[in-house]
Amino acid sequence: MSKRISLADEQRFRYLQSKTRRHFLKQCTTGLGALALGGMMGCQRSPGLEASGQKVESLLRQVPHFAPKAKRIIYLHMAGAPSQLELFDYKPELAKLDGKDCPQSLLEGKKFAFIQGIPKMLGPQAVFRPRGESGMMVSDNLPHFSTIVDDVTLIKTMHTDEFNHAPAQLLLQTGSPRLGRPSMGSWVTYGLGSENEDLPGFMVLVSGGNTPDAGKSVWGSGFLPSVYQGVQCRSEGDPVLYVTNPSGMDGSLRKQTIDAINRINEKEYQEFGDPETLTRISQYEMAYRMQTSVPEVMDIKDEPAYIHEMYGTEPGKTSFANNCLLARRLIEKGVRFVQLFDWGWDMHGVAERESLDKGLTIKCKPVDQAMTALVKDLKQRGLLDETLVVWGGEFGRTPMQENRGGREWPYKGRDHHTEAFPIWMAGGGVKGGFTLGETDEIGYYGIKDKVHVHDLQASILHLMGMDHEKFTYFAQGRDFRLTDVSGKVVHKLFA
Amino acid sequence: MRLLVKNIRYPLSFFLFLGLLVWVLRVMPIENKHRVIPEFVLGERIDYNRDIRPIVNNKCIACHGGVKKSGGFSLLFEDEALAVNESGERAIVPGNVWKSELIKRIKHEDPEYRMPLESDPLSEEEIELFTKWINQGATWDDHWAYKAPLPQEVPSAGSGWAINDIDRFVVQKLEEKNLRPNPLSDTYSLIRRLSLDLTGLPPTLEAVQSFSEDGSADAYERLVDRLLASPAYGERWAAMWMDLARYADSKGYEADRPRKIWKYRDWLIRAFNDNMPYDRFITEQLAGDLLPNPTDENYIATAFHRNTMNNDEGGTDNEEFRVAAVLDRVNTTWTVVQGTTMECVQCHSHPYDPIRHEDYYRSLAFFNQTADADIPSEAPVLVEFKSEEDQQKLQKIQTWVTDVAAGNQASAADYFTELIRLGEPKLHPHYFEQMDRGIPVRGTATFKVDPKIHSITRQLPFSGEDRMMFKVRVEGEAGAIRFRLDSLQGREVAAWDVRAKTKTRFDESRKKQVSYSVSEVLSIPLESLQGTHDLYLVWEGPDGKESTCIFEWVMLHHSLPGKDRAGYKEMEQTFYELSNSEKEKETTPVMVSLPEQYRRETRIFEKGAWMVPGEPVSAGVPAIWNPFDEGYSQDRLGFSEWLFSPDNPLTARVMVNRLWEQLFGRGLVSSLEDFGSQGFAPTHPELLDWLALRFSRDLNWDIKRLLKEIVLSATYRQSSHFKNPQEDLDPLNEWLSRGPRLRLTAEQVRDQALAVSGLLSDKMYGPSVMPEQPEGIWQVVYSGDQWRTSKGEDKHRRSLYTFWRRTSPYPSIIAFDAPSREFCLPKRIATNTPLQALVTLNDPVYLEAAEAMGRNVLANATSNDERLALLYSQATGRGISEEKLSDLQVLLEQSRAYFDTQPEAVCQLVGEEDKELAVYTVVANAVMNLDEFLMKS
Repeated sequence: MSKRISLADEQRFRYLQSKTRRHFLKQCTTGLGALALGGMMGCQRSPGLEASGQKVESLLRQVPHFAPKAKRIIYLHMAGAPSQLELFDYKPELAKLDGKDCPQSLLEGKKFAFIQGIPKMLGPQAVFRPRGESGMMVSDNLPHFSTIVDDVTLIKTMHTDEFNHAPAQLLLQTGSPRLGRPSMGSWVTYGLGSENEDLPGFMVLVSGGNTPDAGKSVWGSGFLPSVYQGVQCRSEGDPVLYVTNPSGMDGSLRKQTIDAINRINEKEYQEFGDPETLTRISQYEMAYRMQTSVPEVMDIKDEPAYIHEMYGTEPGKTSFANNCLLARRLIEKGVRFVQLFDWGWDMHGVAERESLDKGLTIKCKPVDQAMTALVKDLKQRGLLDETLVVWGGEFGRTPMQENRGGREWPYKGRDHHTEAFPIWMAGGGVKGGFTLGETDEIGYYGIKDKVHVHDLQASILHLMGMDHEKFTYFAQGRDFRLTDVSGKVVHKLFA
Repeated sequence: MRLLVKNIRYPLSFFLFLGLLVWVLRVMPIENKHRVIPEFVLGERIDYNRDIRPIVNNKCIACHGGVKKSGGFSLLFEDEALAVNESGERAIVPGNVWKSELIKRIKHEDPEYRMPLESDPLSEEEIELFTKWINQGATWDDHWAYKAPLPQEVPSAGSGWAINDIDRFVVQKLEEKNLRPNPLSDTYSLIRRLSLDLTGLPPTLEAVQSFSEDGSADAYERLVDRLLASPAYGERWAAMWMDLARYADSKGYEADRPRKIWKYRDWLIRAFNDNMPYDRFITEQLAGDLLPNPTDENYIATAFHRNTMNNDEGGTDNEEFRVAAVLDRVNTTWTVVQGTTMECVQCHSHPYDPIRHEDYYRSLAFFNQTADADIPSEAPVLVEFKSEEDQQKLQKIQTWVTDVAAGNQASAADYFTELIRLGEPKLHPHYFEQMDRGIPVRGTATFKVDPKIHSITRQLPFSGEDRMMFKVRVEGEAGAIRFRLDSLQGREVAAWDVRAKTKTRFDESRKKQVSYSVSEVLSIPLESLQGTHDLYLVWEGPDGKESTCIFEWVMLHHSLPGKDRAGYKEMEQTFYELSNSEKEKETTPVMVSLPEQYRRETRIFEKGAWMVPGEPVSAGVPAIWNPFDEGYSQDRLGFSEWLFSPDNPLTARVMVNRLWEQLFGRGLVSSLEDFGSQGFAPTHPELLDWLALRFSRDLNWDIKRLLKEIVLSATYRQSSHFKNPQEDLDPLNEWLSRGPRLRLTAEQVRDQALAVSGLLSDKMYGPSVMPEQPEGIWQVVYSGDQWRTSKGEDKHRRSLYTFWRRTSPYPSIIAFDAPSREFCLPKRIATNTPLQALVTLNDPVYLEAAEAMGRNVLANATSNDERLALLYSQATGRGISEEKLSDLQVLLEQSRAYFDTQPEAVCQLVGEEDKELAVYTVVANAVMNLDEFLMKS
């Protein structure tokens, strides 16, 4: 009950905040969402609130619940689900079965998206080698990544409940396969706010030419107030929608306009006394600051040449590499949660672009370079310790070759697979050079240390200092949490 | 003296004895003693809802409720609470505290036994309350919202201020709270508030002027009547209902392809404008297809529940997403009409409210009998032929059937009209198994028959149909499909010589005409059968010549009557042509009930998982509501009638509360979505019941008349000035001590900008439009759909006509808290964010409006001050104060100076060399960002 925040309470709280707003605006360094709702978390509690007693006291979430290991998150979501059997899960036994009919035991009672009838087994389409001091097996598709394995924790035994892209992405990012729940980034910024007053706390970058299959709902705020939804940054057009002044109006004239608006709004406040008017004044000030800070942070032109070389970035383009560099810049500015989506990993083998022997290799090249550069760059700047980097898809791929429509295809591809898929993490309190979990001989099932999607979410929240069972929001008649009704923190991951 | 003492002693000891007796009776542990001992003896009555339920909900029910039932004990239902538990004890023995295990456990000294477990013990007062309550007989009471509203006496309070009865209820509460209402609002604020509330649009300057000059006593009432009669009224309230109906122009999920369902939006506008009574309004939406002789409009109303999402992603299970849609219909219906969080009950009994797990599936049973499925075509759709030729063909068939059919001509004509316009019941691919090398594979979007694959539909009910219709596409050239009964070699009941329908197109790369096959709807003769059979579709043909038949659906039907008449062949041909017409037609997804023999069995899903069906259930409602007795038909129509039974406790309360919230920004029950025991109690329970009964009985569900009564009240008309914060005892305006001051809705913010700048189109109805939006918003996978900015006035239509794509909604609308419409949203939250500021400052739509306003004031006023004053008045409907005018003057001079030093910026901003236009565009842009513009006071 004490954690329950209803809308009415929020309003009540907002009102009480307004009484102490001046004090508040001076002291509060939380981000966009927090300010908009009267800064419910992360700030010093102001004297006005102490005085207002029990009711308000109960509204303040006890977040963080314990000392956080990570302050910020960069989540690199490979939409479409990369194949673990060509990247991280070395299966020599599968090579021996290549071309043989899949045993009935693997098909019975299973549902696949596209596999029909009896498919053939498909051996790994890549060469694996032990890497680093830890000897982690990684394929030749990821030469750059192979140099940082000792900074990385690899989970081989992720599993999920959903075998279609949109529901699986939603389950991973929002805890539920259906639309309408807040995303991980929304939860985290709702809980912790942002560390920068001039930028939103949760920012999203998309590459690969498409938004993820589940659309913008994967960074939606669900029933949380809309200030917590991810703000999409774009490489072309406005970096954030409507952040650019109309042509013919420069920053100085915009400033004068906003000053005029705020002067009149102050008079309106004198007349009606509505605290909402004061909030509006502060939001217009922040909008103005965002107009400068967003284009600044989004402009990568002035990064030194060695950085561009390291990431493989080209200013002005939309690419995963550019987004990785932007992620680092946003994190540096104190953005709490940066979410990258890269589309185009759905290697079914129905075209060359979707093949594991050719398309995947091409797809990996820039991504391997950029994601590795990101980890190295964060490390050399001393940011990796407090920044959690997570990389992975929404499910894995079958050890069988896909035979869509019951026929054999000229390219090598694999169908969607829920039972085992990998995710790697770096920094932010996780171990380095560590592999969690084992899969069976063909990479079909996890046989040791299985980690469900909800377990991953619980662990990520834990690293951010939050107890996933206590961190709830009251909506539609009950308390909701990111991990729904399950999820166990995987302590083995933590350094 | 002794005498005196003696005389006193008797009465004294009598009273002492009486006191002792009362005390003994009170605490004496006798089960059910409250049935024989009068109430006054038992002491001040403990009220379950007031005293006990809050403790139960906060401290007990998490373990002893609908989700968990630890120790076999639950406090959700009275019978469960009083039952014997797993331990063999009874937690509550009415009248007998000693035997009540509950009392022992809450007082237990050992924390391992004490309840609540692993928490602080209950307080002394709480234990005392439980003890007294059990002692008094543990009288159970239902939550207020599950008891029908009672007639209320209108209080006499409020003389001098009250205008109608609503005010008397409000003033009574204000007096209780030591609060005073505000005086009535000034005319300018009032007309703007009222116009925005009733029509979603600001008043014109002329309307403001004539209202402020109209001194007659009924000026305000006439204004209300005029606004209620305005066509814009229907648009404003339809926009509200579209959140509840989760209306969108796309299907949702991965590809999120477009859906044509705008006729439902138009139906809403008309229903509100025609002031359709609320009972009819809901009944048509839930069950319009089941009304006697349903009209097109009745069918289109049922699109309410066809706004559920549809998953076209490759490889999805059609039944999974059909079930998801039906679950959503259950949740939405209960949320919208009953303010009840039924979604909690999908997986287990309600954690807090007396609704059992099986009740969810009893509700589901009402909605589980429609023909729709999760298929790309969205069948069933209501087809409206737009070409005259097609209309004539339909007419021809109707006339033929009426002429020929003996007996019930009307129903025969209806049968064929529905066959052509709705085409049900179709058998979709997921009813077919394709046998591929011995492995059964279910079809999703289509199913196949070819030399290697045969298909089977199991347990197909036949009832004498003598034809079979199907939609098929053929690749190849030869062979025949044999339709056999019950086995591969079974009796042949129909056959079809495969024939490919082809078209040609010019191939750019090969520079020649190429031919490709297309789908065709065919009807072939079928042996008339009864009972259920498995139907096999088998390919047969000459070796070396193959073909693949790709079926989208199959349907059994009856042949046109009059086989022996002249012209029959021609009539069959007409039927064929109409089924395959490529001429313009409009289609709207609608609800169609399955015929008796096709009905589904509804089962409980264990823990809510659709793959784990449990016991079968029949349609019904939770026991705590008014009974769903034999008088009601066991279908959606019966359910709708039940909702509007005079005994239903919630229908009227929920709707009056919703309308109230739309006007005051806060419901009398502030949790619009939850009237259950975890929702908020009404601030004004008497007013809520009074309004509910007024609406349902006196006004016969007349929405306009209810709105009129509310807006005529002094409560609504009072000024929205906040009181001095130090003295304000009603900061959230829960007690209505001031008028509403609220931010405009997302739609209203944009509509207002277009209206005050003179850009707004008043065109109503029709397909959704695409006003200007930034490039690159739509990047949806597997979809070439593009945002194509509408031309002409369609760019400036009211926002409710904007194309609503669920995965990528119109960005400026979303910034102002509109939902994505994936699910029903009972209440929007009004946030206040910098992203909103960026929209109204920089979105080209708002710049265009600012420029139009600038142009307007330049043309209609001469001096600077007049122009600024006019600008402000047009935007806000009121005069400008000296101080605010001087702020605008400063900006005016600043922007003049700016354009003087940067003359090239003029053309960049307004597209022409007109410096004053640029200057006034900047000022108008500022005015359209003022608090008083974005709020209604």
